[in-house]
Amino acid sequence: MTPNRHGSAIIEFPNELEIVVTREFDAPIGLVFDVFTKPEHVRNHIAPFGEKVTVCSIDLRVGGNYHFVFVTDDGTECSFRGTYLEVEPPTRTVETWAFEGWPGVEAVESMDLHEADGVTKLTHRLAFPDQAGRDHMTKFDGIEANFDHVEDYLRSLLDPAGPVSGS
Amino acid sequence: MARSPTTSDVFNAIAEAHRREILDLLIEGEKAVGAIVNDLSMSQPQVSKHLRVLSEVGLVRCRAEGRLRLYRLEPARLRPLQEWLAKYEQAWNERLDRVDDYLRALQDKESSSDT
Repeated sequence: MTPNRHGSAIIEFPNELEIVVTREFDAPIGLVFDVFTKPEHVRNHIAPFGEKVTVCSIDLRVGGNYHFVFVTDDGTECSFRGTYLEVEPPTRTVETWAFEGWPGVEAVESMDLHEADGVTKLTHRLAFPDQAGRDHMTKFDGIEANFDHVEDYLRSLLDPAGPVSGS
Repeated sequence: MARSPTTSDVFNAIAEAHRREILDLLIEGEKAVGAIVNDLSMSQPQVSKHLRVLSEVGLVRCRAEGRLRLYRLEPARLRPLQEWLAKYEQAWNERLDRVDDYLRALQDKESSSDT
């Protein structure tokens, strides 16, 4: 049996509006496609850190909607919705992508699969319509919009005189 | 009126390939604009434009020495990007590793029911 490929996802920013993730799986393309598009499979992996999945509905056809909700340990509900724009089993789906926490931001997500020698490569692309949209993504999770704070903090840590007090 | 593209943060700054080339070059140490132009076969105005963007987000710092303007990298400014990327990468890796395990389990089940 081949060793697993844990930790091998590659994240790239090909331009200012897109984030691209690629990853290979030792499985045939049809099975990988199902695992990313059938609710009974998707609910097993949709939550990034294994959070509890409470809603997982997928209407896999052009114009069909999907809705996922998972709940973090502190009780926060994370809800994602969208509509399929392209459905081409087993190689490609394109869908709109909206996260309830970021009102007014609608991205387009695509999944492309390609199989060679029994290995299926996933290319996941998230494209924001404008800078403001993608900025949500790159500034989430405790990273301040203003990088000056971070720099000041780092400098204060490096300064032998010790951390500076605020003001 | 069309809005001009903004180059307001580190993420934007490094999304452009030429600007990444400039940063790669400055890893070697402080360099004059002319040296950057020579090494990267970009035009002087092009290099100056990219350096201005990199200065605005604080990724490079400029000082004058006589008539030369010398640029150096401010690696600390890449820290937020690195931290963010590490978290994002971790989230994707955890999820996709789970898919990996799940696919293996499905295939094991299939192959054992075949035989």
